[in-house]
Amino acid sequence: MNVQNNKKNKNEFDLPLLLTPGQDIAGYAGRHIGRAVLFSITAFSVVAVLLILFFVMKQAWPFIVSGKWTEFLSSDQWYPQAEDAEFGALAIVTGSFYVTLIAMLIASPIGLLSAVFLSDIAPFRLRQIVKPVIEILAAIPSVAYGFFAVLVLAPWLQDHFGFSTGTNALNAGIILAVMALPTIISVAEDALSSIGRDIREASYGLGATRAETMMKVVLPAAHSGIIAAFILGVMRAVGETMVVWMASGNANQFPSPWWDVSASVRTMTATIAGEMGETPEGSEHRFALFALGVLLLIFTMLLNLLSEIFTSSFKRTMGGKR
Amino acid sequence: MREKLRHIKDKLFTLSANVSVILLVLALIVVLGPMLAKGFTAVVFEGTSEFRRLQLEEHSRGSKEEVLAEINQGQKERRKLHQMIEDFNVGIDTSEMYDSARDVYRKYSRNLRSLDLPYDEYSGKRRKAREVRDLFLDAIESEDSEKVNSFLEKVFAEQDNKDFQGTAFEKIFTLAERFQQTSKKIDFSKRDQYKEDLVRIKELIKELFGPAPGAEKPALIMEQYGATRWDMAQKVIDEIIHKTKWVEQEGTAALAKKKVDRRKTFEGTEFEAFFDVLPGKAKEILKPKTTFYWQYFIDDSTPGHYFGGVGPEIIGTLTLTLLAMAMSIPLGITAAAYLVECAGENIVVKIIRGFINTLAGVPSIVFGLFGMAFFVMYLLPLFGKQPQACILTASMTLAVLVLPVIIRASEEAIRAVPRTYKEASLALGAGNFSTFIFVTMPAAMPGILTGIILSLSRAAGETAPILFTGAVALGPIPDSIFSPTRTLSYGSYDIAVGDRLAMQVPHKQYGMVATLILLVLILNIIAICIRSRMSAKLKGQK
Repeated sequence: MNVQNNKKNKNEFDLPLLLTPGQDIAGYAGRHIGRAVLFSITAFSVVAVLLILFFVMKQAWPFIVSGKWTEFLSSDQWYPQAEDAEFGALAIVTGSFYVTLIAMLIASPIGLLSAVFLSDIAPFRLRQIVKPVIEILAAIPSVAYGFFAVLVLAPWLQDHFGFSTGTNALNAGIILAVMALPTIISVAEDALSSIGRDIREASYGLGATRAETMMKVVLPAAHSGIIAAFILGVMRAVGETMVVWMASGNANQFPSPWWDVSASVRTMTATIAGEMGETPEGSEHRFALFALGVLLLIFTMLLNLLSEIFTSSFKRTMGGKR
Repeated sequence: MREKLRHIKDKLFTLSANVSVILLVLALIVVLGPMLAKGFTAVVFEGTSEFRRLQLEEHSRGSKEEVLAEINQGQKERRKLHQMIEDFNVGIDTSEMYDSARDVYRKYSRNLRSLDLPYDEYSGKRRKAREVRDLFLDAIESEDSEKVNSFLEKVFAEQDNKDFQGTAFEKIFTLAERFQQTSKKIDFSKRDQYKEDLVRIKELIKELFGPAPGAEKPALIMEQYGATRWDMAQKVIDEIIHKTKWVEQEGTAALAKKKVDRRKTFEGTEFEAFFDVLPGKAKEILKPKTTFYWQYFIDDSTPGHYFGGVGPEIIGTLTLTLLAMAMSIPLGITAAAYLVECAGENIVVKIIRGFINTLAGVPSIVFGLFGMAFFVMYLLPLFGKQPQACILTASMTLAVLVLPVIIRASEEAIRAVPRTYKEASLALGAGNFSTFIFVTMPAAMPGILTGIILSLSRAAGETAPILFTGAVALGPIPDSIFSPTRTLSYGSYDIAVGDRLAMQVPHKQYGMVATLILLVLILNIIAICIRSRMSAKLKGQK
């Protein structure tokens, strides 16, 4: 900066490297104002999160203060359009977790094993092929997955398993599993490969097989990273809208018996997406849907916090080891 | 023994890992395969002459003379089919014949009256004529072929009656002959069944070839044309030849579809031949030709995606995403630059990072709620606009949605630029700012670009955030950013579950979603290519 000021002078190096007080102040001010501007732009994300919280809460507030919380969380009677409107969201909340559970039951073993494959088994070339596959799986829009669920998977399930309807919890669960897999795999693979070569080699050196090395050494060492991966997968599944809206059947009920995955269920996201369009502004129904949104937001934020805790604890243990 | 068990376990473990990756690849193929393959048929298919007529009349594409010649030739063939139906119909749908027989009688009796005959002669002739007429009417209404024949015989017995010769009443014998001829092979007890099937066949013929020659032009555009594609035409032909019946299944309450040959109904009649000639004639009339309908990507669709393409949807998607990117790219890159270059690892930065992660984890439907509550219902009225979901609000929502993606990708890219670059620039006397603009940014550009393209594809595919903030399923092409638009993503949803009309045209359903997937895939492949070139470059430098 100092040098530029003296461009006119031919013997610029003869002069002392000093700034006038004016330049000094301008530079100081410019630097700090610039930083302040940059900071405020960066803080936009913070503002955005706060705005989201505020405005979703604001719309849900009338419902929250109306004291229908107990009914909201304990009853499964969801009749928002009835004269005596009832807003019992228990079955809906359960539905969200039900499909997520199915999805995770399918996705976590496959995801973990795929991560193991990528980090420890596959040769470099093969990894170069599999990674784009995972990326493309992650990139396919959720509405396309939903489309597949409705027009391809649902008829297939109906024909081959004798379900009375193809749009059910199992269908949504399978698709959600495919959607959560890329997240799980990439985070878990990161965790697995950041466990260094030395630990693996020590284990192999003691005569352990690959299975023993992975199960008894690497996976325990990477457990917090893998748990973070699963949590992120759960987050993806809980927050997904289009697939469950299209594929879950949208029936407000508990599956009975509880393991009957061929039952149609309904989730929080699908309820919001499906009913928001027909609610007039300022109606109790709309407030209730926003309350569902708040609930969803709380769940995902908690999961996010949890995954952050696991990630940072993973980083700490890794830092300690090196 | 134990050693063996350990090895088997090891093998099993490796195998299961391999299997899960194979499952992954299979999932990709199973998900993408059918959708892309069927979507492909929206663009490349066997187009019929009706398709070419549609293109000529709606978009004035193609040579007028050729298409008209083709259609005229088709009409000729078509008339033959219509003739076959009409000929058979004479024996079945007798209401027309009934009316004309009564007409003949009325005319005859009027003539008689004008002859000024003596009353006895007049009433005798009239009575005779009425007898014959009633016999004939009995014949055409009867359901028993023996009775029909006996009635007809009685009618023909009167043919030589001199009273009728040379009068208007003679015509009734021509009618009777015609009826006798067509009804020779008809099983009269099945007449109602014939009638029902014929009505259906006529409907289907209309669906196959369009409105009958010389008929009035229907108001709905989808009724103005027959089958525009050979695969659709074949479906209709199959429906003509086979009747679907719902049969009760054993054991289950559900009804099962069963196909029955329609020909069986018409067994033994002259009409049976119709089913033999139909497929060949249909091919002659419709003249299927392989068509590459690239205009699918620019055409507007006529009611409910029945005809036409996805042009407005593509434009809507591009407008939304580009607007969103225009808003979020400057913000995102600046934020990333600040986080890497200016901020240390203090508590404020940690909080900001936490918030960015939170923002990335917010479910997309909540973004939709937020966009509706903030942009549509709060911000638009603040600036004196109607609180209406529109392109602007939708793209703002998408901009907030992709912001964390862009920040993370750019941050990573900027961080990956080797320290030495920056130090060299600083050592040459460049300031912090110019170092960042002229040295760090260009070096980080491929990485940033990758992030931008990936978030572009994310924004293009998102549906939930724009559900209440600016997407519509059907509607006019928007004229400003303050009106809602159609998009590929919402269109894919609507065409799959919401649109009843679209159920009849699966190729349009798949075409829409395949277009969306292709758009996203192309963007992703570009991103992957840029990244692999970048990593190759970095390796070369090492």
